Amino acid sequence: MQTELLQLVSTLGSALLAAPEAGHAAHGTAQGSAHAAAAVPGMGAMGQWALLVPFMPLLGCVLVGLCAIGKVRSKLPAWITIGCLAVSFAAAVAMLMQTMHGNAGQGQTSIVKAWDWINLSFSSKGDMTGTAAALTQSLTANFSFYIDTLTCLWMLFVTGLAAVIALYASEYMSHDVGPGYIRFFAAFNLFVFSMACLVMGDNLVLLFLGWEGVGLCSYLLIGYFYKKAPAVAAAKKAFIVNRIGDLGLSIGIMLIFVVFGTVEYSKLFAIIQSGVLPTGETLRDHWVVWVAPLLLTVGAFGKSAQIFFYVWLPDAMEGPTPVSALIHAATMVTAGVFLIGRMYPLFTADPHLVALTVVAWSGVITAFWAATIEMAIFDIKRVMGYSTISQLGFMFAGLGLLTPTGAAFHTFTHAFFKATLFLGVGAVMHGFGGQLDLRRLSGVMWMKGFGLVGIAMLVGSINLAGVPFTAGYFSKDLILAQGFATPQGMIAGSQWIAWILLLTAGMTAYYTFRTYMRVYVGPKEFVPGNDAELVELGRHPKGTSLDTWHAQHGHGDHGHGDHGHGDHGHGGHGPADHGHGTDHRHAARYDFDPTTEEFDPHPPGAAMKGAILIAMVLSILAAGLYFYKPIHAAEHGGWVAGLVNTSAVAVSNPVVESARGGLLFGQDPHKLMYYVSAGVGFAGILIAAFLHGPKGLGGLFIGNRTRAATSRADVLVGLFGPLTKAARNKYYVDEIYHWLIVRPLNVLGHVFFLFDKLVVDGLVNLAGFAPRALGHAAKGQQSGVLHDYAVRMAVGVAAIVLIAMLLGSGGLS
Amino acid sequence: MSDLMSTLAQANFPSPMAPATLAHYLAVSGIMFGLGLIGFITRRNLIIMFLCTELMFQAAGIALIAFSRYHMNHTGETFVIFVLTIAAAEAALALALVVLLFRRKESLDAGRWSEMRG
Amino acid sequence: MGGLASPILLYAACVIGALGIALALPRRGVSPQIIGALVAALGLGVLFVAMGVRSPGALPNVNFYIFSIVALGAAVRVISHPRPVYSALYFILTIIASSGLYVLLAAEFMAFALIIVYAGAILITYLFVLMLATESPTADQVEALNDYDRYAREPVLASITGFVLIAAMTAMMFGGVNSRSLPIVTTYAGAQRLELLPKKIESSLREARLIDKDESIARDPATGQYLIDLFPKPGTDAATHVPSVMIGYGDGRTRAIGPSTPGWPKDLVLSNVEGVGFTLLADHPGAIEIAGVVLLMAMLGATVLARKKVELDEREKLAAQTRSLAGEFEPEKSLLRAPEVAGGPTTRDAPTRSLGEAARGFLGAGGQR
Repeated sequence: MQTELLQLVSTLGSALLAAPEAGHAAHGTAQGSAHAAAAVPGMGAMGQWALLVPFMPLLGCVLVGLCAIGKVRSKLPAWITIGCLAVSFAAAVAMLMQTMHGNAGQGQTSIVKAWDWINLSFSSKGDMTGTAAALTQSLTANFSFYIDTLTCLWMLFVTGLAAVIALYASEYMSHDVGPGYIRFFAAFNLFVFSMACLVMGDNLVLLFLGWEGVGLCSYLLIGYFYKKAPAVAAAKKAFIVNRIGDLGLSIGIMLIFVVFGTVEYSKLFAIIQSGVLPTGETLRDHWVVWVAPLLLTVGAFGKSAQIFFYVWLPDAMEGPTPVSALIHAATMVTAGVFLIGRMYPLFTADPHLVALTVVAWSGVITAFWAATIEMAIFDIKRVMGYSTISQLGFMFAGLGLLTPTGAAFHTFTHAFFKATLFLGVGAVMHGFGGQLDLRRLSGVMWMKGFGLVGIAMLVGSINLAGVPFTAGYFSKDLILAQGFATPQGMIAGSQWIAWILLLTAGMTAYYTFRTYMRVYVGPKEFVPGNDAELVELGRHPKGTSLDTWHAQHGHGDHGHGDHGHGDHGHGGHGPADHGHGTDHRHAARYDFDPTTEEFDPHPPGAAMKGAILIAMVLSILAAGLYFYKPIHAAEHGGWVAGLVNTSAVAVSNPVVESARGGLLFGQDPHKLMYYVSAGVGFAGILIAAFLHGPKGLGGLFIGNRTRAATSRADVLVGLFGPLTKAARNKYYVDEIYHWLIVRPLNVLGHVFFLFDKLVVDGLVNLAGFAPRALGHAAKGQQSGVLHDYAVRMAVGVAAIVLIAMLLGSGGLS
Repeated sequence: MSDLMSTLAQANFPSPMAPATLAHYLAVSGIMFGLGLIGFITRRNLIIMFLCTELMFQAAGIALIAFSRYHMNHTGETFVIFVLTIAAAEAALALALVVLLFRRKESLDAGRWSEMRG
Repeated sequence: MGGLASPILLYAACVIGALGIALALPRRGVSPQIIGALVAALGLGVLFVAMGVRSPGALPNVNFYIFSIVALGAAVRVISHPRPVYSALYFILTIIASSGLYVLLAAEFMAFALIIVYAGAILITYLFVLMLATESPTADQVEALNDYDRYAREPVLASITGFVLIAAMTAMMFGGVNSRSLPIVTTYAGAQRLELLPKKIESSLREARLIDKDESIARDPATGQYLIDLFPKPGTDAATHVPSVMIGYGDGRTRAIGPSTPGWPKDLVLSNVEGVGFTLLADHPGAIEIAGVVLLMAMLGATVLARKKVELDEREKLAAQTRSLAGEFEPEKSLLRAPEVAGGPTTRDAPTRSLGEAARGFLGAGGQR
């Protein structure tokens, strides 16, 4: 481990020396070529083997499904999953190589078709007056994959992380081997396939398919512990909130089809580049150019947990930790970022950049909002969840501030370090029986078997905080700097955005190290969570699965959660509260001595450790990408910038290129930001150390925490009073939503129910009643007496004869 | 109403002093049929009701024979043979049924059978 | 044919006739049946007179009117007589009058067939059942008229309906089929079937002395067909046809005689019986078979039905019990009635008294004739 550290330091050191010059030099030389690239890279060829990337996970899903039929009881589904995902990852790497080097090293775009899916052609009649020609429109949405460098970038970390996390989950979920295990991995595979469809699809319809698919798998996986009411509620909440966003997305897609006549990217980008719509109008003046991006943004908001739409993500922590790591840290939530990135040409086609302004402001508000909540929460898993929301806000701000490179890079690095953080938190949960309250854990790093976890958490935390020369530092800087670089007027209030983002970066550093210094360093202390019995047994009691165990014990995957100071069951989780207020089996113990007491924390096994190690290493290596510029030298952002600028996003290069020139304190923002953000980050870390750090190196020598439960920050709680309480309770957003939206809808539902019962059913019953009433009226005629019938018959015959005679032609000739 | 009267006024009625025409026989047949119908509706005795149906058969027979004579072939007469056959069969079965009905209710009153009241 | 002053008169006559019939039907209280009959007759008479005024020309067809008036009068009596047996007997009168009409229409076979089958078989059956089902009069009840026989149901409505029907029918009839005389018999269709009756021709010619004792109708030596050619075959020219019958001695010599030969019997035509017979058997053989089957079915059906055991209805059972318990004097009951309840079965299998006794019981009592 020592050698690893040394190597790390040496790499970082060299990078530090090289960074300013590299960045600066790149800035100068790349300007010319950067301006030249304003079009989609040329088409290239890609073999059908590229289909392995999306379809291997699908194959994995099918194979795991077969395991279900075969009633497999071993870890076979996990190995199948890991194998398929590894193959998919390898194919993604090869795809990247081919794409980067195709087209004489300029990067290529290729389209690989799997099969025909939707291929409709219809013609509308022309004008009634005959002036407009009859339009023949076609809706082509094939199962084809659009492979450019952006796609490859995304698929790289999606498949890679998926493989790593599958490895992690193989041990994490081992309690549940059997049908639950199979279910987990089947949904896991399906998720990766849907994500691949989303990212690699060559038309908006396939993207939408993947969009819905990931939503579905997210629902399946969050609600994995389906016997637990909170988990089920959280799954429903996630799906429903996503759905609201999906409405915007689907309307946006339909609008794009109606106006542009196509949903395929290649054709779409060609139209956008030409600036002229099929009907002949110029794109700039048409209203679609700001309406469609806004609608797509709404969809992105839902999936990427932006302001107003984020409420599902904290609750999604009810799912197993691998799910949180994969879906809610790295892949699904970045789908919104990807969407905006993919459709960036459309977003920048608007001369007023309306949608991008909205994106930027929502990003910054989300980031700030989530950060404030996080400073007060005690549940470390939820801290990670809100941290994801906050970082997503950064990414969106980056997109809005016209640095797609920054957003993509931040997505890339965030995926790795957030996954590391989640895996680490998962290890803690796994080992301490579900305990996640940071007031009940301390010094975990020093406990037997948790060393690697501690180091991984440290690596992840420094990335998240933006400590210089980490990957997170570089990626965040791109965004922060761009906030100042964008000229005033392009994005309304971009300076404000930039300052608030800077502040948020500081807050991020603070809460990250608050968590780290409370939980991982300091005096060794722990209180086992409510699932401790589970851990003590090593495995669950023979014959029961984790589901039933949880159901019996009515508890879930996150322990106590954030209850604040004794307010149990009070909206701590919003509507998903499981209200086990007085259900504490283990009293808090502040003097637990691990050497004499019975409960042994369960350190992570080989698979989990291996996964954590890989994720950690990758998040370290991601920093190097900033300096790696194999293709198409770009100004900043290194390798990722190169990728982004050779993808379809390049269509919007004219606009992106024009977003520079703003100054920060009279200096070039990019260069200055290295130091400014470093300073802000260190400030945050120091404050955290002061307030929460333990004595000694762990607290950077300025802390004095001796117990797990308390620290200097408790004084501040009194100082800020109600604000802290509100923050701890997530500003009561869930409750507000409940009263504002859920209740009225409930009432509306009841109204409609009554309407249905009385009016609709009433009408139907009336239809049934009418014949009966008629029959009743006619019943009187059946007197049962022969003569009556005879008379009626005769009268009838006479009448008919009479009528025939009168109506017939004269009747008498 | 007036055009009804005019169409009816165009009817040509046969003179009674002329040799009997087809129309005469049809008139007799029609009147007998009507009488049979009235009897069927009016009488309550089951057997008399059937007798009135037989009266209607009679009327039909007269009409058939008259038409047979009018068309100058024997088809109508053949038909009347079959009418007789069927009338006989029907009389046998109808009377058997009437006997059964009588056994149940001890009366031939058709009004007694009203259990199928709506 | 003369026309009428206005056809309103027909309808007026119908209305009067309806009124009369309505009155004639049996009803409660004082029964103005005689009055009803008279009014109906009046209606008919008015019609008669009004029609007769117009053209006092040719000879009246008296027979037709006699037969038709008898038939209609008897029909009226059938439907209006309160005693069911008398209704049946009047029906027999109707049948006889109808057969008279048939004779007028040159359908003599049907006339007699009608009397034999209808009056002789069907009506007798009706009479049997009537007698078996009717109560015989008791000591204190001179007239054993059932309630349901005495009163007609809805006479007015029935009369109106019936006469509307008659008016409509007759109006339609007269509209379409007027002033067609009934032509002479010799042009009957199927008259050429006479050729299929060589024996009849031969005997008739022999009677007319046109054939000698040792002569007979010649036959074709090859086919054995009789050489009778009295009617033109279809397809040949009717104008040039000379009807002839070849008479031969049996040894090849033949001579022809035909209707132009003096002494040809005038009644050598297909009689009604033969014509009906040919039509029945040659043209509708299938119908005969079916008619046979129908009769068989009727016979079997009647047999099966008559053997069926039928339980007394609730009300009647109660009445019988009451009667037996009260010990009242048991009148002679209809043979079709169930015996006393005490110990006996409540179903009736077969009559145990002789029919003669029964018949004597019914017709003996007084009452309207």
